[in-house]
Amino acid sequence: MATTVKSLTPSPFHLPKRARSVLLNLALILVCMLMLFPVFSTLVLSFKQQSDVRSLPPRLFPCNTATDTFDLAACRFFGEGYERVFLAKPSPNALLGFQITGRIFSTYLPNTVLYAFATAFFVTIISAMSAYVYSRYRFRGRRALMIALLVLAGVPVLTMLLALQQTANGIRRIIPGYEERIFMIIVYVGLELPFAIWVVKGFFDTIPKELEEAALIDGCSRFGALVRVVAPLATPGLMSIFLLAFVNVWNEFIVNYLLMSKQNLRGAMYGVFDFIAQSLSSYNALAAACVLVMVPVIVVFLFTRRVFFRAMVEGAIKG
Amino acid sequence: MRATASATPTHTPVPKRSAFARTLPFWLLLPGLLIIAAIQLYPSLFTFYLSVQRIEPGTGRYVFRGLDNFARLLSTQQFQESLAHTVLFLGGYCAFTLACALGIALLLRQRVRLSPLYITLIFVPWVLSDVVAGVIWRLFVVPEYGLFSPFFANPDLFGGSRGISILTSPAAPSILGDLPFPPAPALIFLMLASAWKILPFTTLLILAALQTVPQEVLESGSIDGATGRQSFRYITLPLILPTLAVTLFNLTLGGINGVGMVFSLTGGGPGTATEVLSYLLYSIGFARLDFGLAAALSTLMSMLNLVLVVSTLRLTGVQED
Repeated sequence: MATTVKSLTPSPFHLPKRARSVLLNLALILVCMLMLFPVFSTLVLSFKQQSDVRSLPPRLFPCNTATDTFDLAACRFFGEGYERVFLAKPSPNALLGFQITGRIFSTYLPNTVLYAFATAFFVTIISAMSAYVYSRYRFRGRRALMIALLVLAGVPVLTMLLALQQTANGIRRIIPGYEERIFMIIVYVGLELPFAIWVVKGFFDTIPKELEEAALIDGCSRFGALVRVVAPLATPGLMSIFLLAFVNVWNEFIVNYLLMSKQNLRGAMYGVFDFIAQSLSSYNALAAACVLVMVPVIVVFLFTRRVFFRAMVEGAIKG
Repeated sequence: MRATASATPTHTPVPKRSAFARTLPFWLLLPGLLIIAAIQLYPSLFTFYLSVQRIEPGTGRYVFRGLDNFARLLSTQQFQESLAHTVLFLGGYCAFTLACALGIALLLRQRVRLSPLYITLIFVPWVLSDVVAGVIWRLFVVPEYGLFSPFFANPDLFGGSRGISILTSPAAPSILGDLPFPPAPALIFLMLASAWKILPFTTLLILAALQTVPQEVLESGSIDGATGRQSFRYITLPLILPTLAVTLFNLTLGGINGVGMVFSLTGGGPGTATEVLSYLLYSIGFARLDFGLAAALSTLMSMLNLVLVVSTLRLTGVQED
């Protein structure tokens, strides 16, 4: 309707509706291509063979013929890079007849999966408990507590790590052989909580109090009202905080790197970082490692994008 | 922090409530408060405390040294340099990101049928980790074989041969005396890569703000003869200005604190050309293990961030409820 009104006033940029729409779409497609190009080129690189990685001048597609012309039939895509990441070795005892010895898959990714799921689970539950109180009760110091959560978000994570690393060393000295992964998960939960509490409080605020009051009148306890009425209604919001925490922990590098003294407790991002030095000039393997650790989060994101955007906008506008 | 259940409606017919029910809010808050206190509050305070202490070489005990660490920090050339790098980085990063995000958000607002699809596609870089994003951009410019390496190594475009890769070529001679300006090509490249990563988020924020601009106001403006540019300048821009400011603060915070991409893209190099404050904090605190100095730097950065957070709170006017 804006366009019909606009046509009343002659404008130097006046274009017919159809042409304007085509131009807009073209511009947006260009933007999308620019944004996706780095991901796309990494994907292509990961499937090149070593001789094409080292072609001079560099080419995006390994599709040149002997006479240097582009030919789709001449495209050469191989799994060489992935083989270097997996390093599958035949092993008679393994389930599929081979064993993956590449450390990214055998060690780092399982760690990351554990950290991400555990953190997301606890962050969701604890933030829902806290956010319910902030959303439904009025008490002295409530506003101060909420603001304090935001202020803590401004302290650089490296600042906390200076002290947390000493704590980690201390615990390691006092309790030999304790499970360091538990400490890692607690740290992640602590780092994710403040933002999560704000977002979940925003979701709870949108749920009408009358529903809960009805439940209370019917004899439901306050805690029962939270578990049976509010939390189910806020499920989409809670899901979004679960996913956000999951992706954040999946992608996290520095906290994990500095707090875990043992390499075999570190996560996938450390695996990629470590691979930079290991795969000097076998760039297809480095690209393959990147693809393998980024594809899960991209897939999760594509399937749950609505949920994601909700948490982002909710959190960003409030905080 | 005693919670009173004053929000409980008076007509609720709950004759007798157990002690657990009366103290329910406290028990609900407790786990969150404990974990945040242990993981965020205590370490921050401990670091601030460390910033005025120094470890005695012989005994290993902490000794109060006042602002000694701060004086030591401010006098090092490394700090001054990395402060300059940070300012240059932030300036370019924020300006470039805001301009691109505003442009894309304005395009997306034009009721294109496919815009949900476009938003989704544009958003993909945001879900990648800093480390992966850094490696992806690094692969563009690895010596000789990177897709963009011939472009950046072109002596006609970038004046004389300056190393094989943009990540290793030194900065041009400074034209501003002590300030490292123009910055090393690697810093500009870091800026581009960081902007690419954060651009989706910024675009989404600005788009959300643009969608709150009432359509009726724009229409009545255009009936009164406002051109597209005028209605942007006098209607849209003033209305989204608070969001733009919040976005700017957000970007600055992320830019100051972010360190992952420096790690995987440049590693602070060439030399110290991309050593921003957060990377300096890492190298002092975790590589050189000078805790006092690192704590002082942490405190300075936290104070700077605090100013940004408080300004954001003022602008968004976080309400009481």
